[in-house]
Amino acid sequence: MGNDVNIGYLTLSAILFGVGAIGLLVRRNALVMLMCIELMLNAVNLTFVTFGSMLNDITGQVVVFFVLVVAAAEVVVGLGIIVAVARRRPGATADDLRVLRG
Amino acid sequence: MGQYLPVFALLVLAVVFGVLSLLVSKVLAPRLPTRAKEAPYECGIIPGREPPERFPVRFYLVAMIFIVFDIEVIFFFPWAMVFERLGLFGLVAIAIFAAAVFESFVYLISNGALEWGPIKRQQRSALVSPARTAETTIRRVGLEGRPRAAEEAA
Amino acid sequence: MSSLAVVLAQAPQTTVINLAPGAGTPAADPNAPIPTPPVLWAALLPILVLGIGGLVLLTISSLLKKGAPRGFYTLYTVMVAGLSMAAAVPLWAKVNGWTKIAWWDFRDLWWQSLPTEAGPFSTLGQAIGVDGLSVFLILLICIAVILGSLLSDDFLLREGLEGPETYALLLFSACGGVIMAMADDLIVLFLGLETLSIAVYVLAASHLKRAQSQEAGLKYFVLGGFSSAFFLYGIAMLYGATGTTNLVAMKDFLSRSIPANNALLLIGFALLLVGFAFKVAAVPFHAWSPDVYDGAPTPSVAFMASGVKAAGFAGLVRVFVVAFGQYAADWQPIVYALAVLSLVVGSVLAIVQNNVKRTLAYSSVSHVGFILIAVEAATPAGIQAVLFYLASYTFMVVGSFGVVTLVGRVGDGRHSLDDYKGLGRTNPLLAAIFTVFLLAQAGVPFTAGFVAKFYAVIAAVDAGSTVLAVIAMISATIAAFLYLRIIVAMYMTDSDGRSASPVSRAERIRIPFATGLSLLLCVLTTVGVGLLPGPLTELSAKGTPSLVREPARTATDGGLTVGTTGTEAAPGQSQQQG
Repeated sequence: MGNDVNIGYLTLSAILFGVGAIGLLVRRNALVMLMCIELMLNAVNLTFVTFGSMLNDITGQVVVFFVLVVAAAEVVVGLGIIVAVARRRPGATADDLRVLRG
Repeated sequence: MGQYLPVFALLVLAVVFGVLSLLVSKVLAPRLPTRAKEAPYECGIIPGREPPERFPVRFYLVAMIFIVFDIEVIFFFPWAMVFERLGLFGLVAIAIFAAAVFESFVYLISNGALEWGPIKRQQRSALVSPARTAETTIRRVGLEGRPRAAEEAA
Repeated sequence: MSSLAVVLAQAPQTTVINLAPGAGTPAADPNAPIPTPPVLWAALLPILVLGIGGLVLLTISSLLKKGAPRGFYTLYTVMVAGLSMAAAVPLWAKVNGWTKIAWWDFRDLWWQSLPTEAGPFSTLGQAIGVDGLSVFLILLICIAVILGSLLSDDFLLREGLEGPETYALLLFSACGGVIMAMADDLIVLFLGLETLSIAVYVLAASHLKRAQSQEAGLKYFVLGGFSSAFFLYGIAMLYGATGTTNLVAMKDFLSRSIPANNALLLIGFALLLVGFAFKVAAVPFHAWSPDVYDGAPTPSVAFMASGVKAAGFAGLVRVFVVAFGQYAADWQPIVYALAVLSLVVGSVLAIVQNNVKRTLAYSSVSHVGFILIAVEAATPAGIQAVLFYLASYTFMVVGSFGVVTLVGRVGDGRHSLDDYKGLGRTNPLLAAIFTVFLLAQAGVPFTAGFVAKFYAVIAAVDAGSTVLAVIAMISATIAAFLYLRIIVAMYMTDSDGRSASPVSRAERIRIPFATGLSLLLCVLTTVGVGLLPGPLTELSAKGTPSLVREPARTATDGGLTVGTTGTEAAPGQSQQQG
């Protein structure tokens, strides 16, 4: 695979990661924040796969499995917590969570 | 120095893209937050009415359970590809893994996460009857926990 | 969920190794058996005991129709953690070259399966390392589980939240922590970190009757997930720079060759540090900690502040001080900045809080600053100081939150400073215990806190960071004020000026047995270590030097470890940057 293509993938994953990170900071909906975390993790997956192909090493692709599982576990736990919050206050956004103030 | 160029370009691109998209949205977007914009999906049909407040939580539960077992499969596929060459080692490893996943299934069942039928444990008090009576049109439901109401109903 | 990761943690190496021969070129014989790494089960026993213990606990509770008898879950958790500690003792002996402890001769036991020569070793294709540091932290994390579950027992009963979940989560979380402490591979480290974190997110949100608890869980989850992503991106960068995720192979690679792309390496360091700083709550990544500490159930907070921090620092020390010690000049400035900020911000913001739990959260931030100055030293003495600090801090902080649990009363909501006014009159014993912990945290002589701070500062001075040491001591003085503020509230003021009136029954707080036991242990250790720091110093010193040695290549090295894969990939690395 050409080097430029790989750099392209790396750039794409950096951009996706950035979009996820900024989205997490900007959007206030808990579900969207969850999606942003997923986006960040998957951007890292892309980085791993790209490096794996650049290095001709399988590790980069195997790591993706584990990251996927971790991401799934995070989604489940995150959804669980969001459901618990939403049951108490439907339609709550992160701004409404202000019983605790940082 | 040339070797740093791609990384540098990568960084700059990431930052520029982020900043640019923020700026553009700040400058161009009219700031009129509406309910639709706060919604998880910003496109599609605007809901005509609010969804019912008391959404059965078991839907979420089922979704979560699905994710767990869905993800379990991605480890079975690579193993299935080479299980003969892996021999006993792979079998033991996948057995440990499957046992751990199966345990969560046991826990879920015991907690009633997969009970779909009518809720069996529901108990009806003799005092509470949704049926209409000759005396009043008020249905006598939800009287539990109210000592006065219980007396009145008696 | 976390139970999955427990098992998975063993798998990465097998998968990596199995697939490695097929990378790039087609395998010669498609039906040839794939070589698999030997597994030293004895070395994995502490992890397995905790993970399986959690699973069995859930199974038992699922099969019991009517719920377990009172105290069963606590007893079970304490026993599992104790078993895990017992499984770690032979490892400790092996690392230190002992053949017996007192009268107990190990030599005819199952740990015969461990490598014959004494000293640190690694297993599972170098993914799991057993050395002084990891065994020390296994013991520490198990102690945190024991103390935390003892606190939970009465708390859950009081709040009407009885169930096995808290204990199972504690065990899974501890399992993740132990994996982190033993991980010699960044992916295993990541899995351990996630096992630890995901369980703790749920723990934070587990007080079903308190809105703050769920908010705390959500905040912790969102920020934790955010930091995990950074952490993982850092791993990806290091993988790109060195061609391996294995720390041993990485260290080998870095000592033999200068990576073609240093920038990737540095970005990787920075991102990893961000991830670690989030997990241990160092400024400026501390924003979650006061909210989470405030909202989460207090016994869980005790575990978060002790066990989770210990695991986080285990990873930090192993990755940065040990594996990347060669690059200390690159990461030390960042750790320096984190340490200074944590010390100053932690102690200053702690003073302006009116909620005792938030105060303790900020004070724990400043403690993190202290531990970071020992990390920054990047010397054996520094690592020893880190371990000593972690060990003594565990007891101090669990004790403090134990008292806070009791004073919080039903609903776990009475944590303002006003609720502590007059505690010295209404509950003299509780106030006295709390005073001991607060003084210890302040670093008053003859307590564990003093010795811990002393070692950290000495390590920093020896490493040449005198300015850092001075900042640490100044901030310790500032922080002392906040502890004194609570003590003054307990003894000098009274809630409504009725100092002479008899103490009413409602004001008196009963100390239940399990919580009392936990507090007793903490007080004894805090004071005991303060008076006789020798044993713990020796223990933490034993944890250190073995760590600095590079973990030995497995005796059973099949030539197919990740390390070899990584080094072979090195040429490809330089070529990609052409």
